[in-house]
Amino acid sequence: MKLNSSIAFAVLLFNFIGLNAFSQAEKNELTISIGYYNNNSQIHYLVAQAKSKIDGRFQQIPNVALSFYITNATIPNLLGKAVTNEKGEALLLIPPSAKNEWNKSAKQSFIVTSSASKQFDEATATLEITKAKIMIDTLPDKNIVATLFELMDSAWVPVKEVDLKVAIKRLGGDLNVNETPTYSTDSLGAVAAEFKREKLPGDANGYLTLIAKLDEHEIYGNITAEKLVPWGVVIKHASNFDKRTLFARRGHSPWWLELLAYSIVLAVWSILIYLIVQIKNIKKLGV
Amino acid sequence: MESIAKQKIVEDLLPQKFGKPGKIWVGILLVFCALGLFAYIRQLTKGLAVTGMRDYVSWGIYISNFVFFVAISLVGSLITAVLRLSDVHWSTPLTRIAEIIAVSAITFASIIIIVDMGRPDRFYNLFIHGRLQSPIIWDVVVITTYFFVSILLLYFPLMPDLAILLKFKEKTGAGLHKLYTFLGSFWKNTNAQIHINEKAVNILSITIIPVAFSIHTVTSWLFATTYRPGWDSTNFGAYFISGAFLVGAGGVIVAMYIFRKAYQLENYITDSHFDKMGKILVLLALLYLYFNVNEFLVPAFKMKKSEEDHLLGLFTGEFAPVFWFAITTAMIIPILILVFKKGRRPLPAFIAGILVVIGSWFKRYLIVTPTLLHPFLPMHDVPASYRHYIPTWEEWSIALGSLAGAMLIITLFARIFPIIPIQETITETEQNETK
Amino acid sequence: MKNNDTSRRDFIASSVLAGLTLAGCSTKDNPFEPDIQDQVQPSGETVKLLSVNGEVIEVDKAFLKPVPDLPTVSNEAARIGIPGKKFVMVIDLSRCKNLKKCQASCNHMHHIHPGQNWIKVYPMQEAEHTAPYWQPTTCMHCDEPPCVKVCPVDATFKRQDGIVLIDSERCVGCRFCMAACPYSTRVFNWEKLDLPKAISDKPYSCETSVPQKIGTVGKCDFCPDMVRKGDLPHCVAACPNGVFFFGDMNEDSVTNGAETFRFSELVKDKSGYRLMEDLGTKPSVYYLPPVNRNFPFEPEEQDTTQKNS
Repeated sequence: MKLNSSIAFAVLLFNFIGLNAFSQAEKNELTISIGYYNNNSQIHYLVAQAKSKIDGRFQQIPNVALSFYITNATIPNLLGKAVTNEKGEALLLIPPSAKNEWNKSAKQSFIVTSSASKQFDEATATLEITKAKIMIDTLPDKNIVATLFELMDSAWVPVKEVDLKVAIKRLGGDLNVNETPTYSTDSLGAVAAEFKREKLPGDANGYLTLIAKLDEHEIYGNITAEKLVPWGVVIKHASNFDKRTLFARRGHSPWWLELLAYSIVLAVWSILIYLIVQIKNIKKLGV
Repeated sequence: MESIAKQKIVEDLLPQKFGKPGKIWVGILLVFCALGLFAYIRQLTKGLAVTGMRDYVSWGIYISNFVFFVAISLVGSLITAVLRLSDVHWSTPLTRIAEIIAVSAITFASIIIIVDMGRPDRFYNLFIHGRLQSPIIWDVVVITTYFFVSILLLYFPLMPDLAILLKFKEKTGAGLHKLYTFLGSFWKNTNAQIHINEKAVNILSITIIPVAFSIHTVTSWLFATTYRPGWDSTNFGAYFISGAFLVGAGGVIVAMYIFRKAYQLENYITDSHFDKMGKILVLLALLYLYFNVNEFLVPAFKMKKSEEDHLLGLFTGEFAPVFWFAITTAMIIPILILVFKKGRRPLPAFIAGILVVIGSWFKRYLIVTPTLLHPFLPMHDVPASYRHYIPTWEEWSIALGSLAGAMLIITLFARIFPIIPIQETITETEQNETK
Repeated sequence: MKNNDTSRRDFIASSVLAGLTLAGCSTKDNPFEPDIQDQVQPSGETVKLLSVNGEVIEVDKAFLKPVPDLPTVSNEAARIGIPGKKFVMVIDLSRCKNLKKCQASCNHMHHIHPGQNWIKVYPMQEAEHTAPYWQPTTCMHCDEPPCVKVCPVDATFKRQDGIVLIDSERCVGCRFCMAACPYSTRVFNWEKLDLPKAISDKPYSCETSVPQKIGTVGKCDFCPDMVRKGDLPHCVAACPNGVFFFGDMNEDSVTNGAETFRFSELVKDKSGYRLMEDLGTKPSVYYLPPVNRNFPFEPEEQDTTQKNS
C-alpha cells in the first residue's frame, strides 16, 4: 500500500516536471528565410518566409509580423513591415526611403526580424547580396543571348561561370526554349540559346515572352530579365461559353429546348386559363 | 326520378361530423404531423446533418417519399380521366376520392422536396434564377401545372354539389355554409351552366393525361438523366408511370374501403366496385412486373462491371430482403389475391391495396438509395458513416409526418365536402332508370 | 520538398512585375507592345518605389502582380472567367505515392469540413491481375459537365476558361449535381462549419470557394484565385513529387512548378488519357498512365478514412 502510494507520488511528480518542461518547450523556434528578387533591373523586392518545426516537421507559419531592414536593424533603416500570409510568406517592395543606403555600395544586406510572440521567440535573418542584372537580347535566326552583370564599385562587369536559365514564360512556369534548361555564362558573362519551340502559341499577336533567370543564387539572389519576341503563333481561344448548350448558363439553352418547353407550357396554360374564364362564365350565369 | 330516392342519396352523401373513431384518427394524424414538424425544425436549425444522408447517399427517403407522392398522385388522371374518356360510368363514385388523393399527394410532394433542400430559404432562386436546361425546373413547372389541373378537376364537378350543400345550413353549420356560399353560391343548375361544366370537365380530362404522364416521366428523368448504374435507363419513364398507376390504384382501393366503412357508403361503393378495381389492379401489377423484369433482367444478363455490384446488391446482397419484399408485396401477392373472384371482395382487396402501397413505398426507396451506394469510382477517403445509409429518426418522422399530412388533407376534405359526387350520382341513377 | 519550394519562389519571381515591365516602363525595344495575357487596367493609384538603379519611380498599383491583398473579383466576373485561358491539368500517375499532401493543402486552404475531401487519392486496380496504382482525382472540370446541365439555378456553372465553379450564395442544396457527377467529386456541407471567425466572416467568393456555406455543395475549383495571382493551384504547389501539372491549353504548356512541358507533347509522348471518356463529359484533367513508376504501390496499412469517423 505504502509502496503503491509512493510510486503514485513519484509518477505524479514526474508528470508535473514533465508537464512543466513541456510548457516551457511550447515556444517553438521560428526560422526566417529571405529571398531577393529583381526583374528586368527595375523594381525589386524581398520575400521572407517564416517556418517552424512543429511536431517534428517544418510548417509554414502565417500571421507573423515581420520588420524588414536594410544594412542594419535600426529604425532609420526600416524598409517596412509585412505579415506572413497563409503560406508563411511576406512580400515587401523596396521603398524610396532606402535610396541612400541602397546607393552606398554594390553589396547590400537585408535584415528581417520578428518580435517574440506567445508561440515563438524573436527571430532574425540576414541576407547579403551583390547587385546584379541580366540583359536579354535576340540575334537573327531565333537565337537568344542573355548576359549577367554584377556591380563592382560603380561599374557593371560581366560574370562568368554562372548557370542561367533561358526559357519562355508560361502560366505558372517556364518552358525551355530547347532541350537544354540552363547554360553557363562565358567569359563575357553571356549565354546563347537557340529557340526551337516551333508553333508555340503566343499572345493575341503571336508574341512570346522570353525570360532569362538566375534562381536563388547565393551572391545575387533571384534575377530575371524578360523580352517580348514575335516568335509564337497567334493564340486561338475556342470556347463554347456563348453557345446555346445544355450546360450553358441561364438564358442560353438550346433553341429546340426553349421552343419545346415554352410551346408546351403556353399550350397547357392557355387551356387552364380558358377554364378559369369558364368558371367566371358559370358564375355570371348564376347571378 | 322520385324525390324521395333523390333525397335519400343526398342525405346519405352529405358530409358527416367526425365520430369518435374519426376524432381519434385525426388526432393520430396530427400527432404524426407535429412530430414531423418538430423533426423538421431540428433539421432547419442543425442542417441536413441530422439526416442519415452523406456525400455518397446524397438522396435518401425524402426523395423516395417524393417519388412515392408523385406516383400516387397519378391516380387522379387514371380514375377520372382515363376511365371517363373511355365512357366507363361505374367509376363515377370514385372520381372524387381519386382527385383528392392526387391533390394531397402532389401538395406533399412539393413540400417534401423543399424539406430535402439544403437551403429552403433560397427556394425563390428557382424562380429568379431558373435554368430551363435543368430537369428540376421541368419538374417544378409540371408539378405546379398538375396541381392546378387537379384542383380544377376537383372543383368543376363539385359546383353542383355545393349548391346542394347550401340547402342544408342547419346540418353543415354556419362556418361551412359560408365556405360553400363562397365556392358555389352561383350554381343554379341551369342547362347553360351544366353544359359549360361538362365541357370543362371533358377538356380537363384530356389535358390531365399528358400532364400526369409528364410529372412522373420528368420525375423519372431526375434519375435517368444521370449516368449512374440502375438509373441510366431509357425505360425509366414508362417504368415509373406503370408503377405510379399501380400504387395509385392500390391507394384508391384502400381509401374506398375506409370511406365505405366510415361513412356507411355500401350502396354507393359497392362490392362490384372492388371487383372492378381489383381487376384493374391485377392488370397494373402485371404491367409493372413486366417493366421490372425489363429493368432488371436485361442489365443482369449483361452484368456490366458498373452495374454488377448494384444488381447483385439487390438480388442477393444487402438490399435483397427489401428488394424481394417490395417485389412480392407490391406485385406478386396482390396479383395472387386479386386474380380470384373471392379475392376481389372488399376486405381482401383492401388488404391487397395496403400491400401494394407499402411495397411500392419500399420500391421507391430501392430506386433511390442502392444506386447511390455504387458510384463509378469506389467509395474512398470518407468517414465510415458515409459508406452506409441508415435514415435517422428525424427523417422517419418527417417522412411519416408527410404521409400523415397527406392523409389528413384527404380526411378533412371528406369532412367538408361530399366524398362521393352527389349530383353526378343522382344524374347517373336517373339515366339508369330512364334506360 | 526543397525542390518544390524553389520552384514556387521562382514562380513569384517570374510573374511579379512582369506586367509592369512589359506594359511600358522599361523594355527598350518594344515598350508599348500590346500584351493580351496581362489584361491589366491601370488603377490610377500609384506607389513610389525604389528601382534597382537606385532611382525613385512611380508605379501603378495594378501592375504590381502578386499584390498581397488582390481584390476578389465580382460575382459577374467570376462567372465569366479569365479571358483567353483554357485551363488544363495533367496528373502523372507514375509519380504518385499517396502522400496526400495535395489533399492536406487543399483541405487547409479551402477550410473544408473535417473528414470531407475535394481531392481524393484512390487505390485503383482495374482487374485482379492488373497492377494497382494511386489515382488522385480533382474535379474534372468537364467541357460538357453533367453537373452543370442539371443545376436548376445556375449555382454551378462552366466558365469560358473551362473552370466549373459553384456559387455557394446561390446554391439551393438540391444535390442533383452530386447525383449527376460520375466522378463523385462533389461534397455537401451537411452541417455548419466550425471555422475561425476571420474565415467565416469573409465574403464568399466563387473563385476562392471560401468560406463554405451550410446546405450547399462544394468541390475542387482549380484555384482560379491563385491563377489570377499568377500562382499555381494549392495541390500542384503542395505535391513534393510533382504529380500535378497545371497550365493553359491555349498556351499549350503545363507545369508542376519545377518542370514545364508542352501539353500536347507530354500527353502524346506519355499516352495521356481522360477518365470515363465513354461518358462524353470531356474532362479537362488528363492522366498519364502509371508506367515506369517512381514508387512501388504500398497499400495503406489501415484505411485512413476510418479515423475520421
